[in-house]
Amino acid sequence: MGDRNSVPAEPVQQDPVRIPLTQLRRGQRATVECAALDGLPDDHRCLLSAMGLGDSCQLRVCRPGAPCIVQVDGTRLGIAHDVAAQILVTPIPESSNPIRNGPR
Amino acid sequence: MAPADATAPAASPATRTSRIALLGNPNVGKSTLFNALCGLRAKTANFPGSTVEHHVGSFRDRRGREFELIDLPGIYSLRLELPESRLCRDCLEGRIGDCTPDATLIVLDSTNLVRNLQFAASALRRGVPAVVALNMSDEAARRGLSIDTSAASALLGCPVIAVSGRSGTGLQELTDALADASAMKAAPSPSTPLPEGEPGSGESVRWANQLLAQVAGSGASSMDALHDRLDAAFTHPVLGLALFGAVMAALFAALFWVATWPMEWIGSIFDALASLVTDVVPPGVLQDLLADGVVGGIAATVVFLPQICILFFLLALLEDSGYLARAAFALDRVMRRFGLPGQAFMPLLSSHACALPGIMSTRLIPDERDRIAAILAAPFMSCSARLPVYVLLCGILFADRPLMAGAAFVGCYALGAAAGLLTALLARRTVLRGPSRPMVLELPAYRIPHVRTALATAVERGWMFLRNAGSVILAIAVVMWWLSAYPKVESPKVTPDDTISATGTDGTARGSSIADTSTLAGDADRDSSDAGAARAQQEGSFAGMAGRALEPLFRPIGLDSQLTVAVLTSFMAREVFTTTVYVVTGVGEDGTDDQGTLERVRNATRLDGTPLFTVPTAWSLLVFYVLAMQCLPTLALVRRETGSWRWPLAQFVWMTAVAYAGALIAFRIAGGGA
Repeated sequence: MGDRNSVPAEPVQQDPVRIPLTQLRRGQRATVECAALDGLPDDHRCLLSAMGLGDSCQLRVCRPGAPCIVQVDGTRLGIAHDVAAQILVTPIPESSNPIRNGPR
Repeated sequence: MAPADATAPAASPATRTSRIALLGNPNVGKSTLFNALCGLRAKTANFPGSTVEHHVGSFRDRRGREFELIDLPGIYSLRLELPESRLCRDCLEGRIGDCTPDATLIVLDSTNLVRNLQFAASALRRGVPAVVALNMSDEAARRGLSIDTSAASALLGCPVIAVSGRSGTGLQELTDALADASAMKAAPSPSTPLPEGEPGSGESVRWANQLLAQVAGSGASSMDALHDRLDAAFTHPVLGLALFGAVMAALFAALFWVATWPMEWIGSIFDALASLVTDVVPPGVLQDLLADGVVGGIAATVVFLPQICILFFLLALLEDSGYLARAAFALDRVMRRFGLPGQAFMPLLSSHACALPGIMSTRLIPDERDRIAAILAAPFMSCSARLPVYVLLCGILFADRPLMAGAAFVGCYALGAAAGLLTALLARRTVLRGPSRPMVLELPAYRIPHVRTALATAVERGWMFLRNAGSVILAIAVVMWWLSAYPKVESPKVTPDDTISATGTDGTARGSSIADTSTLAGDADRDSSDAGAARAQQEGSFAGMAGRALEPLFRPIGLDSQLTVAVLTSFMAREVFTTTVYVVTGVGEDGTDDQGTLERVRNATRLDGTPLFTVPTAWSLLVFYVLAMQCLPTLALVRRETGSWRWPLAQFVWMTAVAYAGALIAFRIAGGGA
């Protein structure tokens, strides 16, 4: 039971397939784009961004589902269901991603 | 060992101490570095008018120059509209204290530089001379990550020093750099421009990655797979909660059992102190004041010191290991139902040992509204000071039925927890209404916990608690003592027969079980007459008068004037209730003579000869003590933690009202007042 805003934002119509963070599998990688956080209030978006879940960052799913755990560079973030459902990400195809730990 | 002397924030103009602000993301080892630099020469304070705390410490460099180090709260960005970010801004802009800091020490986690460098850039843009410390450099080296600090230094325009707060490497170099930086008028410019955007913006991320490419060799080994597995276990809906239960059981065992010994030592030290006062100071008002009021008052509070130190030591170990964040994360879903974040679980659970450390550990909760809601819930949890009261009342209710007594015991704990959680929910929906912080929690890397930092935390929290005990609590304890010790009632004549009549100031002949004692010989006579004198004193004192005056108020919940006195005097601390009951029933202050104690209390009568404890009265009192805010130290601590009397007063009124209503219902259901 989310207190508020628990309904996932409607996926925006765009060419790359964007799915809610909660739908990624364990170990899957994805990119977060600026607009992906639009469903969140301003201050939440700023906090997430400052915590590492910012524009064009690449994440790896450590624990899938909701709540989920993702890794961005050296940071592991636990994200509650109502927030994760509103973060839209673009999955990176498995074969095209040789980088282990983000874009370093 | 006075903790505050070396750290007084006001620097005298003659020997001006340089002020250094310690900035960094959460979980970068700021506190460990702070402790490594300042040792125990530190104190904790709240920022004026807020619940956000900071530490102030001092250290000297090798040339003997003194520095004052302000450990600001860990933040992700200086620009966020969160209380801790605002405070860091205020500090850097000189709105806190009397001046801007002479330099900032920006602490970065060497194992997580992409995000940390972006924070450094935004802090450097503030223009205050700075030194960047690459903390946990030993861990980065173990992972095969090498960093060219001189290249980084040129690019950032400030000294960059690799340090380890844990092992102490690089500290000398760091203090030298801080000495140079704090002597500067303005910060030098970096060789390449710093990004304009805030941490997390595309520009800022690109800049950090470019900088890293120039200064850092790639780190090879990583423990991702192992960490993934641990995370999955600790945050698993079933396994995670089971593991949490095991950890908590161990924590509680330590809290209840290990603390027993030091608590006994403290008790005997204060007993010795009281008898020393009695020996040295001539009998009279001063002796009573010192021995009973001051020593007794402090002892009643300080006895909880071991529990507080042990709890904070263990919590610091758990936090440092990385486990606590996972536990908070796993519990978030459950706690959100009551309007509380996952981090509130630990404070509420530790409140079952004692509300004081529980309330102090609400500092783990980042959001202010969440934190106050948890503080409002904490004193409802059945603390160990309620135990003697539960034991006494459950013993009265279920004398020969230990199973029922046990069930009633569990019921008390459940009732307290439910009332606390519902209070938090109610508060969060009314007076503390507002958006919750999004539950996005950084899960720091798993590490072997650092024992020295944990010890420093335990000592610091202990001192904080003692300072509190030494001021507000002492003052009110003395007042409470005075109210129950004055005006002096003349001691009754010590003859065996008088012990009966001495028990009532109004001279009513009373057929109480205390009369039995008059048939005993020798010492027992003296003891019971002492008890009688104590009882007479209790009734003749201001507290006794208040008891009689307020008795009509408590009559609906089944209390007579004697029990009203017991409730009033136990406002200072709940366990005083049992002492008072023993006094008014003539058992003796410490409730010795185990076999007969409970029997005697059960058989005690009121002034009119009816039983003192009927079943409805015992139920009513039991519910009252589960729910009532009968703890002076808690109120004083809540005042300290929330920065105003508003919350403790509201809490006191609310809890008393809930307790009264609960007691009334229990009294009626049990058939009282019919």
